Amino acid sequence: MNNVALIYLILITVAYTLLFRRSPEKTRQSLKVAQNSLVKLAPMLIAIFGLIGLFQVFIPAELIQRWLGASSSGMSLLIGGLIGAIAIGPPVAAFPLAGSMLDAGAWPPAAAAFVVSWISVGVITLPIEVEVFGLRFALARNAIAFASALLIGLLIGWLL
Amino acid sequence: MSAKRPSRAFSPWSLVRAQWLPLFTLLLYGWAFVVRPEQAGAALAYGAKAFSSVALLIVAVMGLVGLTQVWISRDAVARLLGREAGFKALIISALCGTVLIGPAYLIFPLLMSIHKQGARWAVIVTVLAAYAVKIPMIPLEIEFLGWGFSLTRSLLTILFAIPCGLAVEAIMEARFRND
Repeated sequence: MNNVALIYLILITVAYTLLFRRSPEKTRQSLKVAQNSLVKLAPMLIAIFGLIGLFQVFIPAELIQRWLGASSSGMSLLIGGLIGAIAIGPPVAAFPLAGSMLDAGAWPPAAAAFVVSWISVGVITLPIEVEVFGLRFALARNAIAFASALLIGLLIGWLL
Repeated sequence: MSAKRPSRAFSPWSLVRAQWLPLFTLLLYGWAFVVRPEQAGAALAYGAKAFSSVALLIVAVMGLVGLTQVWISRDAVARLLGREAGFKALIISALCGTVLIGPAYLIFPLLMSIHKQGARWAVIVTVLAAYAVKIPMIPLEIEFLGWGFSLTRSLLTILFAIPCGLAVEAIMEARFRND
């Protein structure tokens, strides 16, 4: 699986080398942005993987199956979407969390709703959105984003 | 000694707000090591192993984030979305949304400025909906959730972006009729 990472890293390095010829200054700036975002994200990412470890060891798979499993499909879809809507953090963090939910027996549509609403619904960032766009826009956008997260989840389950 | 302080006052509250998740995780581990040390050790080992398997990929993704932020200018994106009219603008905004990267608090003001330049509400919402695709992050998503899941999710997210945009726009315009 690390081959994917290696190929990706090589492609990025090639892109940096080619762009460096066009503009060393801009490329250095890119490198700096990359470094800054890595440093800024590092504590969050380490924490997420720490949580995944705890999650794996302390939360029994039966509990995940009961909350997010296929047997209570409608409820698990809603719970997946709600957890995603409340959580904040980089999407990079949503993927491994959803992966460990799936491993523990979560219903794929519930995990998909979790990922989509994690990224597109922001309950915690709602105040910022209200300030920038106004209340009606923020509420309408988040409500519709939440509904489509659930729908996308259901469709993924149906298509896969 | 106690009177000596750094020029910028250090506030513990701002640290908690910025790093609440790492601190919360540390607390949980502290608790776990006290209550069940053996299982806490196993959890730590599991987390470390999972992290080391994707560390390289995370570095590569951040490299791409650096490239997109510097080489794709926000102004150019804004111009393209602001000037185009009709359905073409919606398709362009769906496509632009997929490559946009950065925290929402940076994207919101940018989109509001485009709206003030004359872009429809549907354009703004379509960008925000397509923004959930995160093309530069797809390798990481595939790593954890598999090809089928990731590609289906991305495709559906793009397909839903424009209808979502039109729906929110309808709500926004209904408000003006009422006023």
